[in-house]
Amino acid sequence: MSNQLLRVSGISAGTEDKPILHNVSLKVGSGETHVLMGPNGAGKSTLGHVIMGDPAYQVTDGTIVFDGTDITEQSADKRSLAGIFLSYQAPVEVPGVPLYSYLRTITQKRPELKMTARKFRNRVGEIADQLDMGSSFLTRELNVGFSGGEKKKIEMLQLLLLRPKLAILDETDSGLDVDALSVVSRGIEAYRKDCDGALLVITHNTRILERLTVDRTHVMVQGRLVAEGPGSLIDNIDAHGFEQFEHEAEDGGAA
Amino acid sequence: MSERTQNRTHVDDVDRSLYDFTYSEEGYERYDDGLTPDIVRAISQKKDEPEWMLNMRLAALDTYHAKEMAPNWGPSIAGLDMDHISTYVSPRTKQAKNWDDVPDDIKNTFERLGIPEAERESLAGVGAQYDSEIVYHNMREEVAKSGVIYTTIEDALHDPQWEPVVHEYFGTLIPPADHKFAALHYAVWSGGSFVYVPEGVTVEYPLQSYFRLNAEGAGQFEHTLIIVEKGADLHFIEGCSAPKYYEANLHAGAVELFVKDGARLRYSTIENWSKNMYNLNTKRARVGADAKMEWVSGSFGSHVSYLYPTTILAGDRGNCEFTGITFAGATQDLDTGCKVILNGANTTASVDTKSISKDGGCNTFRSSVVVGRRAANARCSVSCQSLMLDDISRSDTIPAMDVRNATASVGHEATIGRISDDTVLYLMSRGCSEAEARTMVVGGFANPVSKELPLEYAVEMNNLIKLEMEGAIG
Amino acid sequence: MAENSTATLSRVNTPPAQTWNYLRTNDITLQVPSVSRKGDVYFALPRLFEGIECGMGRQVTDWVESQAKDAHYVEVRAGEKREEPIVATMDTGVMVRAGAEATIVVCTGGNEDSESAAQSEALDASPQPATSAALVRIWAERDARVHVLEFVAADDDRQHLESVGIVAGDRARVDVRQFFLGARTTAAGLACSLDGANARFDLSCRYLGAGEERLDINHVVRMRGKNGRANVSESGVLDGHARKALRATIDLVHGSSGSEGTELENVLVLSDDVTNKTMPVILCDEDDVAGNHGATIGSVGPEQIGYLANRGLALEEIEALYVRALFDEAVLAAPTSAIRATVLARATTVLGEEVARDLVEGLGLDGTATEED
Repeated sequence: MSNQLLRVSGISAGTEDKPILHNVSLKVGSGETHVLMGPNGAGKSTLGHVIMGDPAYQVTDGTIVFDGTDITEQSADKRSLAGIFLSYQAPVEVPGVPLYSYLRTITQKRPELKMTARKFRNRVGEIADQLDMGSSFLTRELNVGFSGGEKKKIEMLQLLLLRPKLAILDETDSGLDVDALSVVSRGIEAYRKDCDGALLVITHNTRILERLTVDRTHVMVQGRLVAEGPGSLIDNIDAHGFEQFEHEAEDGGAA
Repeated sequence: MSERTQNRTHVDDVDRSLYDFTYSEEGYERYDDGLTPDIVRAISQKKDEPEWMLNMRLAALDTYHAKEMAPNWGPSIAGLDMDHISTYVSPRTKQAKNWDDVPDDIKNTFERLGIPEAERESLAGVGAQYDSEIVYHNMREEVAKSGVIYTTIEDALHDPQWEPVVHEYFGTLIPPADHKFAALHYAVWSGGSFVYVPEGVTVEYPLQSYFRLNAEGAGQFEHTLIIVEKGADLHFIEGCSAPKYYEANLHAGAVELFVKDGARLRYSTIENWSKNMYNLNTKRARVGADAKMEWVSGSFGSHVSYLYPTTILAGDRGNCEFTGITFAGATQDLDTGCKVILNGANTTASVDTKSISKDGGCNTFRSSVVVGRRAANARCSVSCQSLMLDDISRSDTIPAMDVRNATASVGHEATIGRISDDTVLYLMSRGCSEAEARTMVVGGFANPVSKELPLEYAVEMNNLIKLEMEGAIG
Repeated sequence: MAENSTATLSRVNTPPAQTWNYLRTNDITLQVPSVSRKGDVYFALPRLFEGIECGMGRQVTDWVESQAKDAHYVEVRAGEKREEPIVATMDTGVMVRAGAEATIVVCTGGNEDSESAAQSEALDASPQPATSAALVRIWAERDARVHVLEFVAADDDRQHLESVGIVAGDRARVDVRQFFLGARTTAAGLACSLDGANARFDLSCRYLGAGEERLDINHVVRMRGKNGRANVSESGVLDGHARKALRATIDLVHGSSGSEGTELENVLVLSDDVTNKTMPVILCDEDDVAGNHGATIGSVGPEQIGYLANRGLALEEIEALYVRALFDEAVLAAPTSAIRATVLARATTVLGEEVARDLVEGLGLDGTATEED
């Protein structure tokens, strides 16, 4: 295995009144592609948000080490600068901030990406072309009034612009039509190729995975990781669903 | 679509026979019209008041004469000639504790308004005011035993235990200099209620005061003072009505509510003054830490109203909910709304109002939300919906917000519109007549308010709406 | 020239319907210079313009007319599509004839000598701060297209009054973009009357208040013709000890059946010392209409903070982003290089030189857009 990028060890977490994740451990090596699958409500998105440092969730136990540093206590912006990217299932609307101002600001925050405004503009143009986006979107407010598909494209645009070491894609494929889905897949491919970054894809739809070479597959049920296997595990799930794992989750609860 | 002509529902004038009956005031004690120190002294003397109260009245009278109404906003009160308003009309009867001791004409009035029946069924206590004086006052024994006081201010002033309490609170929340008609109120106030709920006591059933103004060309100036001690809980209901006259009547009451830490007070009003009434009423609540103030307000009557119940959230984590509806028909100009002042940290308030305008009636929703510098994390939302039932009516929405804290969050939304043709058509396609369909939509519109009222008042309100809405299609 | 003195414009910039005076939200009172022009002949606008309601009210119109050297009348001929923006002076009247299209620009701040900042012919009586003013009246005939751009980007030694009045005929379309980016006191009023049927009015107002600045804004839309559409949106950022009052009125006048008016304000409050007053008014005399208002006042929402933190921004950086965004928009909207320079001068003061330079370069407005990479 290549050198370790992310190590989640024994994480338990939840909201103030409800525990969601139980003793979750997961390792992702640099440049690897992992898939996290599981039925609705299993806690997959929660894990993504906990790795990102979303303050809506409290970590009650365990540690998260990223790139050799324990980030369990770090705020989300620090984790972002360290190279973690979480693509939102439902990107938040930010009225009053045009996309251009936003992209420019988050890029200039990163010393490794700092560039002249002119180069930056060209770079954004290239990525936008790659994703089949027009240019007028740059003056529109961030995520405000964009369709679901457009919002996802804006997430991909940020992914390609920021070149994170680890990208967590939270149900990026949900609610997309076929065309948008292919654009998003292209974005993910480009990220794998150009940035050589690691991927943690959270999904319950295997279609988005067709064009990816998956290194490891993790299955989450009721807040527990109940199975882990090679990429081929996906085919198994495709054929037999999640029921086969559910009793394991219950056993896990007893253990 | 836009070219389509609109068939409007013609609505007859309201059938107010339920409220529109009068009795002779022959034999009543009626003071001369107009306002002089002599009249003020006479009222005070009749009530055998402590001297501080007389002094307060006289000072207020000066304030009244000195103050002007603001020239730049609000409905006109030009029709109100204070030289022709009698400030004190007293039925010749003593306050009774038993309906059988109330004179027949007055008793019949309240019977027709359903008050004794409501008392038997669902109230913890009732006070009934006829013109300037309370004619009936009674409270269930078990409530009295828990230490709850429900009486008139006059009686409280004659009780050595409660006189100091009244002195401490009276006129402190609404000072006489607040505005011209607050000053008038303090000069000539008479009747009303004094309620004291001791610490930790929950009054299971509501207390109710009903105000009836029978005399023509008279004013009613009752004062309500309610103190809900720490952790206590009370629901107070106020009802008002009057028969119609051609001469102007005036209502300038004052309601002062003290809701201590951790307490809860719900104050419900169904106001159905006749359409010759100038309703210039002032209501204010001061709310302590972790306490809750709930207002439910239905305004149907009066010729002109200025009515903005005010809540001061003084303590941290206090909460205010205001639910109101105003229905303005022909000849009515109703300026109603509320004020909320959020001073404590983590205080919350929500205001939800509806208004309906028809037959040339004029509705103004007026509000103010002030968030003070200290009110960290305060939250306030205001929602205001207005329904226009024809094109000769008017509906204005004039809210103001003043926010001085970065962590506070204030939201406001207002919409004005009419019943959508699609909705009416949909209901008609299911067999409703157009009038029924419109009544149904208006009823639904008012529902958020009526569901906050005790059942019999919700029924009364729905009947009022039906009365207002029924009519032939023209 | 006769001697100079000061005058008081008392309770101006008032909305059509007012409320409790103790809230001090209804109006603003301003001390302004008063130069006697006795003996000067005033070349006034055609009388027709006297009938146009202006946002700051009659008192301000009279004062400007008494102070301006002369009025500036521009006519855009029927059907003409005028490319070059009309730059407003202290007292300007524009007649946009049927089917014509024009852009009208009002700009205050920056270099006194730049031709764009024309109306800042700084009134020479000098109570502090120095005062400038612009009065713009626009008549948009049927089917006209009118674009109005207003920039107030002065430093803190300036008090600026801007009063705009617009009348729109049948099917006329008027859009206004306002950028209030600085001045010790900015008092701005705009009134638009949709007289014709199917007329449309769009207003976007963006503002920034910081330090000891004071902003007083009055927007009035009179919807008179049938099937009118009005869309008013204001949004801004307040920091420091800034004081802002916004009054926005949509008046659905009897006869405006089929009309719809919407007004929406978003205020971002960044400091506990800010005073933000908002008074969104709907007046309605007609039943077959729709009027909507919304206002949200508060700090950056937790959802937005979460999302932006996930992309690497700390809270101060998020707040700075909102301010930068205002300037990005203003620079992009500036129609001439002189106005752009005015906005950038203000951006340099507010955001620093580095960010200001970044604005120009990034938007490809430095003329070096394409070459070398």
